[in-house]
Amino acid sequence: MGSTGPATPAVNQGPGGRPGHPLAGLARQALRAPVTGRALRELAFCAIEGPLGLSVLAAVAALPALGVLAALLAGGGAGTFGGQPRGAVSAYGVVFVLLLFALLVLVPGGARRLAGVHRGLVARLLGERIAGPPPLRHGRGPARRLAATLRDGPGWRAAAYLLVKVPVAVVELYAVFLAAAGLANLLYPFWWPLFRNHPPGVRLGPVGALTPFGTLWVGTYPGTFAVFAAGVAMILASPWLARSASTADRWLIRGMLGPGKLAQRVADLEQSRALAVDDSAATLRRLERNLHDGAQVRLATLAMNLGMAKEKLGEDGEVPDPGAVRELLDAAHQGAKDALAELRSLARGIHPAALDNGLADALATLAAGSAIPVGLRVQVPVRPAQAIETIGYFCVAELLANAAKHSSATRIEIRVTERENVLVLEVSDDGTGGADPSRGSGLAGLGQRVAVVDGRLDIVSPPGGPTRITAELPLRA
Amino acid sequence: MTLRVVIAEDAALFRAGLVRLLEDRGHRVCAAVADGDALLDAAARWHPDVAVVDVRMPPTHTDEGLRAALRLRSEYPGTGVLVLSQYIETRYATRLLAGSAAGVGYLLKDRVADVAEFAAALARVAGGGTALDPEVVSQLVRSSGHAAGLATLTAREREVLALMAEGRSNAGIAAALVISAGAVEKHVASIFAKLGLPVSEADNRRVLAVLRYVGA
Repeated sequence: MGSTGPATPAVNQGPGGRPGHPLAGLARQALRAPVTGRALRELAFCAIEGPLGLSVLAAVAALPALGVLAALLAGGGAGTFGGQPRGAVSAYGVVFVLLLFALLVLVPGGARRLAGVHRGLVARLLGERIAGPPPLRHGRGPARRLAATLRDGPGWRAAAYLLVKVPVAVVELYAVFLAAAGLANLLYPFWWPLFRNHPPGVRLGPVGALTPFGTLWVGTYPGTFAVFAAGVAMILASPWLARSASTADRWLIRGMLGPGKLAQRVADLEQSRALAVDDSAATLRRLERNLHDGAQVRLATLAMNLGMAKEKLGEDGEVPDPGAVRELLDAAHQGAKDALAELRSLARGIHPAALDNGLADALATLAAGSAIPVGLRVQVPVRPAQAIETIGYFCVAELLANAAKHSSATRIEIRVTERENVLVLEVSDDGTGGADPSRGSGLAGLGQRVAVVDGRLDIVSPPGGPTRITAELPLRA
Repeated sequence: MTLRVVIAEDAALFRAGLVRLLEDRGHRVCAAVADGDALLDAAARWHPDVAVVDVRMPPTHTDEGLRAALRLRSEYPGTGVLVLSQYIETRYATRLLAGSAAGVGYLLKDRVADVAEFAAALARVAGGGTALDPEVVSQLVRSSGHAAGLATLTAREREVLALMAEGRSNAGIAAALVISAGAVEKHVASIFAKLGLPVSEADNRRVLAVLRYVGA
């Protein structure tokens, strides 16, 4: 939310505004503010949320109605109201408490339903999708259902929101009033000559115009200009008020009608666990594929060549075609060396042996193998957990490979530091930039793998470069 | 005897080795292709005696070789199909053998290293016989180890059964186990008796019967 209210006019970015000269820009924004799409949507939000928010007061009004209802029910049950005062009063109390309890049971569910409406309005009009809380889980049977309903945290939170929201709803309604009455006031000078063209001598009563400072009574045509001016001021002020109110309301909705911290955390963990499982399955599949298409083929071919050479050597005695045998053995020899190289690179891909001596050694080996010159600085006083080191290593390896493939950089810098129990790996290059995780590169996958251990990936890569990608990992997974 | 062979194998290195091996033995390699569709095209064009087919090929790298082999079997019954693979999958074996074990082979790629045996297996398949990897047989036997009767076989009879399922004749079994042909006949008769199978003359029917019994 980079928006600013009227309280901080120095910042040159209002509703729908564009940067320009501070004062001229401010004036332009102020004039344009009421008619930007965003301001209109915020006003619409206020126009719906205001009455909706105040309608909760109707529930308060329902309490006396409940009393009356209780009286009727108790009166019917305990005979005439006046005949047995004591019994009637106690029956009345019991019925009232029962009705109150029934109402109480209805509150969390009803509040949940209303919360959905509020979240929908925020999504539709303010463009922010707020996830709802997980649905209420209750066991079988009415008793369990009742208990679950009474302990429904999100439901009660939603009810609390409805109460807390009342003052905000007042402000929202006021913003709508400013816009509507302001618009009406603008029209005074236009209709006045049409309807007030009475002959001289006829005296008509003054006409009232609503303003924030009370009703303005106008009796003359010049007076309508004052109303017009008031209208302009109101129209100009309304978007700021609507924005403040809707921002505050959105903040409340996010905080009180969202999934809640714990539920959000559970959702995040479920997602990252699914990613981790997928990732490890994909890794195993890739590994099998590499073995199948690489070393296994080479070894099978090698065995075939040796088999053919053995055939050509014959059982014993003279070798009929030593040249062919030599050629086959050459091929087999080469095949054995290729298979070894392939297995070695595959093994390194699973776990680089240099990592056993720590991240610094492993990254130095990695950097030494890079086609683009790499500057490496590692300052990590505390050794991170092995899993973290491995993830960090493969992060840097992938970022190096990315830089070599896409950036046309002439130099890459790797910096690894530790900051407040967070391992920070920074890979920057002087290349052409434009790295974008949404464009199917490995960056999105990298971000997911980092997220599995609650880490984060930060990408700064404007078109034209330079690129700086920072991975932050907790020291302990 | 010169065989006309079509090879389908996506690993260029191994394919070239196969071509050389077969040509060294005097066979004629009509076509060496890298995927299942090309295999079917080549079969339509050359009507080879036998096709050597890798299971895993592009585009999906799962079982397109096997599927091509099955189509080959139904569309060109006269062409033997020898399937090569780096793994033995019992399911693949049962799919391949469904219906008939005539002119079918399923071998691990490793077997190619024993050139003479591989060439013999190829000739057997081309001639309408069977060549099953010992691994296939032992897996099939293991997966149906609960079958009644199988447990009653002696160790020697199991060996004979395995060789029988590989597609060997009694003489071949006798040579492999270094026993007399008469002894083999005795074992075979005993196996059939214990498994309750009618005695038959053709090798293929023996294999088929055995495989049917072990659950293929």
